[in-house]
Amino acid sequence: MLRKKTNGVARRPQRTGFHPTSTDTTVDRRTFLRGSGLAIGGLAALSATGGTVTPAKAANISLGAIETVKSVCTHCSVGCTVVAERTNGVWIGQEPAWDSPFNLGAHCAKGASVREHAHGERRLKYPMKKVNGEWVRLSWEQAIDEIGDQMLNIRDESGPDSVYWLGSAKHSNEQAYLFRKFAAYWGTNNVDHQARICHSTTVAGVANTWGYGAMTNSFNDIHNSQAIFMIGSNAAEAHPVSLQHILKAKEQNNAPVIVCDPRFTRTAAHADEYVRFRPGTDVALVWGILWHVFENGWEDKEFIRTRVWGMDQIQEEVARWTPEETERVTGVPGSQLRRVAHTLANNRPGTVIWCMGGTQHTTGNNNTRAYCVLQLALGNMGTSGGGTNIFRGHDNVQGATDLGVLSHTLPGYYGLSGGAWAHWARVWGEDLDWLKGQFQTVTAADGKEKNLMNLKGIPVSRWIDGILEEADNMDQPNNVRAMVLWGHAPNSQTRMTEMKTAMEKLDMLVVIDPYPTVSAVLHDRTDGVYLLPASTQFETYGSITASNRSFQWRDQVVEPLFESLPDHVIIGKFANKFGFADRLFRNIEMDDHETPNVESTTRELNSGLWTIGYTGQSPERIKLHMANQHTFDRTTLRANGGPCDGDYYGMPWPCWGTPEMRHPGTPNLYDMSKSVAEGGLTFRARFGVERDGDNLLAEGVYSVGSEIKDGYPEFTMQMLMDLGWDGDLTAEERAAIDAVAGPKTNWKTDLSGGIQRVAIKHGCAPFGNAKARAVVWTFPDPVPLHREPLYTTRRDLVEDYPTYPDRHDYRLPTLYASIQEKDFSQDYPIILTSGRLVEYEGGGDETRSNPWLAELQQDMFVEINTRDANNLGIRDGAQVWVEGPEGGKVKVMAMVTERVGAGVAFMPFHFGGHFQGEDQRSKYPDGADPYVLGESTNTAQTYGYDSVTQMQETKATLCKISAA
Amino acid sequence: MLTRFFAALLLILPLLAAPASAQQAPASDRSSTGGAQTLEDILARQAGQSVESDFRREAIGNPGGGAGLSSQLGTLGGASDAEMFRALRYNAADIIASNNGPAADVLIQDTGMFWLTFRSGPLKTWGGLFLLFTIGAIAVFWLLRGKIRIDGEKTGRTILRFNSLERFAHWTMALSFILLGITGLVSLFGRLYIIPVFGKEAFATLALYSKWVHNNVAWAFMLGLIMAFVFWVVHNIPNRADLYWMSKGGGLFSKGVHPPAKKFNAGQKVIFWSTILMGASISLTGLALLFPFEINLFAKTFGMINAVGLPGLVGMEALPTILAPHTEMQLAQAWHAIMAFVLMAIIIAHIYLGSVGMEGAYDAMGSGEVEEQWAKEHHSIWYAEEKAKQAEQGANSGVPAE
Amino acid sequence: MARVKFLCDAERCIECNACVTACKNEHEIPWGINRRRVVTINDGTPGERSISVACMHCSDAPCMAVCPVDCFYQTDDGIVLHSKDLCIGCGYCFYACPFGAPQYPQAGNFGSRGKMDKCTFCAGGPEETHSNAEFSKYGRNRIAEGRLPLCAEMCSTKALLAGDGDTVSDIYRERVVARGFGTGAWGWGTAYEQKGGN
Repeated sequence: MLRKKTNGVARRPQRTGFHPTSTDTTVDRRTFLRGSGLAIGGLAALSATGGTVTPAKAANISLGAIETVKSVCTHCSVGCTVVAERTNGVWIGQEPAWDSPFNLGAHCAKGASVREHAHGERRLKYPMKKVNGEWVRLSWEQAIDEIGDQMLNIRDESGPDSVYWLGSAKHSNEQAYLFRKFAAYWGTNNVDHQARICHSTTVAGVANTWGYGAMTNSFNDIHNSQAIFMIGSNAAEAHPVSLQHILKAKEQNNAPVIVCDPRFTRTAAHADEYVRFRPGTDVALVWGILWHVFENGWEDKEFIRTRVWGMDQIQEEVARWTPEETERVTGVPGSQLRRVAHTLANNRPGTVIWCMGGTQHTTGNNNTRAYCVLQLALGNMGTSGGGTNIFRGHDNVQGATDLGVLSHTLPGYYGLSGGAWAHWARVWGEDLDWLKGQFQTVTAADGKEKNLMNLKGIPVSRWIDGILEEADNMDQPNNVRAMVLWGHAPNSQTRMTEMKTAMEKLDMLVVIDPYPTVSAVLHDRTDGVYLLPASTQFETYGSITASNRSFQWRDQVVEPLFESLPDHVIIGKFANKFGFADRLFRNIEMDDHETPNVESTTRELNSGLWTIGYTGQSPERIKLHMANQHTFDRTTLRANGGPCDGDYYGMPWPCWGTPEMRHPGTPNLYDMSKSVAEGGLTFRARFGVERDGDNLLAEGVYSVGSEIKDGYPEFTMQMLMDLGWDGDLTAEERAAIDAVAGPKTNWKTDLSGGIQRVAIKHGCAPFGNAKARAVVWTFPDPVPLHREPLYTTRRDLVEDYPTYPDRHDYRLPTLYASIQEKDFSQDYPIILTSGRLVEYEGGGDETRSNPWLAELQQDMFVEINTRDANNLGIRDGAQVWVEGPEGGKVKVMAMVTERVGAGVAFMPFHFGGHFQGEDQRSKYPDGADPYVLGESTNTAQTYGYDSVTQMQETKATLCKISAA
Repeated sequence: MLTRFFAALLLILPLLAAPASAQQAPASDRSSTGGAQTLEDILARQAGQSVESDFRREAIGNPGGGAGLSSQLGTLGGASDAEMFRALRYNAADIIASNNGPAADVLIQDTGMFWLTFRSGPLKTWGGLFLLFTIGAIAVFWLLRGKIRIDGEKTGRTILRFNSLERFAHWTMALSFILLGITGLVSLFGRLYIIPVFGKEAFATLALYSKWVHNNVAWAFMLGLIMAFVFWVVHNIPNRADLYWMSKGGGLFSKGVHPPAKKFNAGQKVIFWSTILMGASISLTGLALLFPFEINLFAKTFGMINAVGLPGLVGMEALPTILAPHTEMQLAQAWHAIMAFVLMAIIIAHIYLGSVGMEGAYDAMGSGEVEEQWAKEHHSIWYAEEKAKQAEQGANSGVPAE
Repeated sequence: MARVKFLCDAERCIECNACVTACKNEHEIPWGINRRRVVTINDGTPGERSISVACMHCSDAPCMAVCPVDCFYQTDDGIVLHSKDLCIGCGYCFYACPFGAPQYPQAGNFGSRGKMDKCTFCAGGPEETHSNAEFSKYGRNRIAEGRLPLCAEMCSTKALLAGDGDTVSDIYRERVVARGFGTGAWGWGTAYEQKGGN
């Protein structure tokens, strides 16, 4: 038998094996297992907390001691902690993060391979620009000067709105905040990021239903669910680690998992009930389920009476969705929906989970509101185990949304009204008139002077039209002439053929990203393209907000690779170039003339985002939580002893008041079973106090310990005075309040947090205690309605369920009816939808450049049902052309499968670098081309935008497939 | 299933019949358990006997006919988990894999165990003994018969038997075969006999070179084989003379008896044909082993054998025609080795006769010129023909009369 | 005495491939070598299940039995390891292995396969523990550090369990009881119990 070689030199005691009999043990089996996956693999063990034992790794491929650094995975919003092992600045290993309550050591394919970021072989290595079709290396100074000068020219000629700042969900909170602030200082609302094409319809729909547009509970809280209803979510591939929590509920509570999806996803494979329905009929499906609920009186009448407004109007609409009609529209047999309704009614509380499958529709906001109504009807809101668990996409898309990297609002959803600007000017210590001066003023149709600072900017989904649309049809004087794609994959957007034209029409295209991205190769430009290397989040540090609203802190794992720079430094460079650096960073400590201090930035945003309780999470508190993850319970997320005793992990917002107030954060929104001070909450009084004579405030229900034993409006100074609680304010607080607007000051604008503090002291929610509204009268469809997709095969349904008339919003005309009236179903008979692969993320430039991941998915493909394939004479693995009704076509490999239903085709959206059959690898800068290239589904994807948020339609269009 | 493959081998190699068939447990009646395994099966397995496993292999449910997606718990499919895992176990499941390496989509194959037990057991034992036996037999023959001498008076004149090209072909084949044989034996027996003596490191090096030689010299052997076939196939078509030669036992066992023969006598024809056929067979399986998982011979071959109805003749069920890629490789290796042993034995005999065994025989492949007397005795017909040719040529050359 | 085992719980495996990339990450495995792979059964149809497969470290390992140069050895924990110095890349272990675990750089061409590479249960190889030689040939030696294989440690749903066989089966039993039904623990029959392949 072979023997182990040894040099005889005495080493630190090692364990040759781990059975207790082994003599030289540094760790006995018990401690050993506590530090291992086995401890967590057990069901009971899952809820247990406790430290882990990780003996120092011997210096095997390096010298010197090994330090452990905690960061957070940059691939999705679950927020898995990444434990990096570093020695001499080299990232040598990744260890499971047992202590993290979110992932308990687990990772998916992406999380388990993030260390590749530190190899970064295919990264963009230094600033480059295209000269006569060749990539030329630049210095940062040169690059910033050239780009800056051209931008200033454009600003002079066409105004600040002709430069579009496209931000990213990959920014840390601080970077996102600075990015939005930077755009404001530049003087434009043409700033936006992926949230627009991710969950914007959720944020709008959900926020307008009960106050806040975010995941109401948490991944861990799913442990308490008695039923799990997933619609338009393929969590098994999009949020794999979340399945750990879902499957735990499935096993421990015997909670039925119901998956509604046009495609039999990997998530569906683990479901108890799979509902296959026609793409784009979510509202019909939900109403079809509710029909059975109301029919059998399964709704929670008391909950509806006390906490919901408008359910009667919903009932009227639902009554139309008989099993027959539902089956006609969705294709789902009534018997199955009755079973689903019955399951949901018998297993409360149940949670509803949705993702892009529900949001990316022209009727996205209707879908999200319908899901909410389902939960309201079942009385599953505001309770542990219930809620709408909306899984966000990118790692910090929640944070970037909260911090307003959006064209329709300032940080904290304050909007763009004069009041909002006044608030932020106050926070920034900025002269409001100077800010106004930065923006352009136009004369509106009614002849009035209008400052564009109050006008919603062009959204991400439409920047193409910002360039191509006739200027006269737009609400801004000139077209967009310069695009800054800062951490954005263009191939995640539809209409790529037009995008190519748009990119070529620009004066200047600036790409700021760790990778060249498809933006570098899609177009045929020979000049005026700049690539600036940004660092990944492992090369810098800062806070991020996970999908469940929890804050986490990333420490820096490695120094920025090559010549890349963190986003906030690049912002600093531009601010200096444009000469408003000292204004922009007025209240922020600087590490050097262009590097704003991260902690100091966090404090500034803490001081301004009162609306959503971003105020209590000081850098110190977040870091304390990261350091003591093991003290938090894995189900309730509450710290049990330790320095964070009583806090909820990551202080899920709203974390009311100032950090000094030590509010624990709110684990489950609208949960009245806790006092507000303990993380309880009521529905937000956001829509006034009455409607059509009905009371919009809660009926005699209130959160535990509330001194007002009924519904109440949001708090203002005046209200405190009326209640006689203003005596509780300290002198400083009172002074701060008077400085704002005296009695008119409300809980959102009071910079001292006094109003919030006092309200909570008396057990009240600062934002009031109201009913959720099932009917959003401010939206095009107050009651969510089913409307056929713009491109539909069901012409017979177009008369009954037509789409909207054409609209004009976000500075641009938006087409609906004029597209739907044309019948494409003859030439384009197959429904095309798109989605996710577990190995890749977003546009995939990052993940396709990671060999460990790229090897697992080497070909772009289209899933075609066996029946369609046979009719078209297409064999599995054959090359086919998939062509959309707008003419974009892609050449991909056919995967013949039952996964998609007959008449439906599916393509993943992570590929790029091939365009309509052409391989563009040669266009990448040398050594920066991803390992795997492929056609982007969005080349064939078509027009179509949500009526409220301009979300793009990617889940229900048409295509024709032919052998290539 | 595998027992059947190896039964197939037994059919070809009767030597092995005895040990293997002893392990077959009597087929038991499973009606009592409704087709599931019975106590007999369990006891038999515990007794180390091989139990016919079809009753489990076929019980894999029907995933295709699963509950519809829209029926309750439809997603759990139409096969019970136990059935699904049996389907995996016997490669009846529809599988895709995350990587596309060779045979990556075979989740589990259980023929390997039979192959390796066959290889380390019967193949080593019987193959080795067979070789030793052959050598022994020749030794005995030599003792009894001694060197076969030229009976008649040597003429001192020689006649060309094999031209240089023919000899080149022969020696290419001969030398490469010897190298291949030795290196082959090294890799088969090394672990058993060399490692204990020289240790692992030393043998690993040796084995590495053996493998290299074996893989590369193989091409020379194949070349020689083809040449030899082209040159000599015409001379090796059997004819009546061969029957007579056979009846006389080729005169090998009695002095002074010399049945007439053409360029090749029946004995040599046997060697020729066995070399060509077995050589080809070895080459094919060899190629399959050189290019793993790319050349699959056995599924097809078994198909043909079944078509001929051969298994039926010997009272066996048809051979399997769907084989896991691994199984193909295992059979290739097994067959490669079996054929090699048989051919080695034959060649050893050939070497004996061609060298020390018979006076004057070596010259045929040495110089290519043989003693006329030797030719008269061993290839009388051919000798006559050659003489006739020469006379003809002589005549045509027109020797001036004196 | 402890005997390490892998267990893949098909009810939990969601084919996220974390085990595959975790392995590549930890041991710097090159493109084309897959010490671990995930196979999916009945892909896209009801009854779809996935299983993560690597060397199962069999009790009576066929690879050990068949290796012409006898380059395999088994640790006291039952981990099957091999020496790349001895391996001649003949490929026999791959033909013998029930699970297709052995991998070869540049497979094929004139039998010039490189040294066989396979899952080490993160226990390195015969080289000196934690030496560069061990790392470059066999990858990290986590067992010597009191850590279990990273693939199982990082499994997104804790479907893949690795460690002391008793503990592993306890955890699995616990789950099966909670579920009220269970899939067989995949591959255990072949890997740990039966001596023959039948």
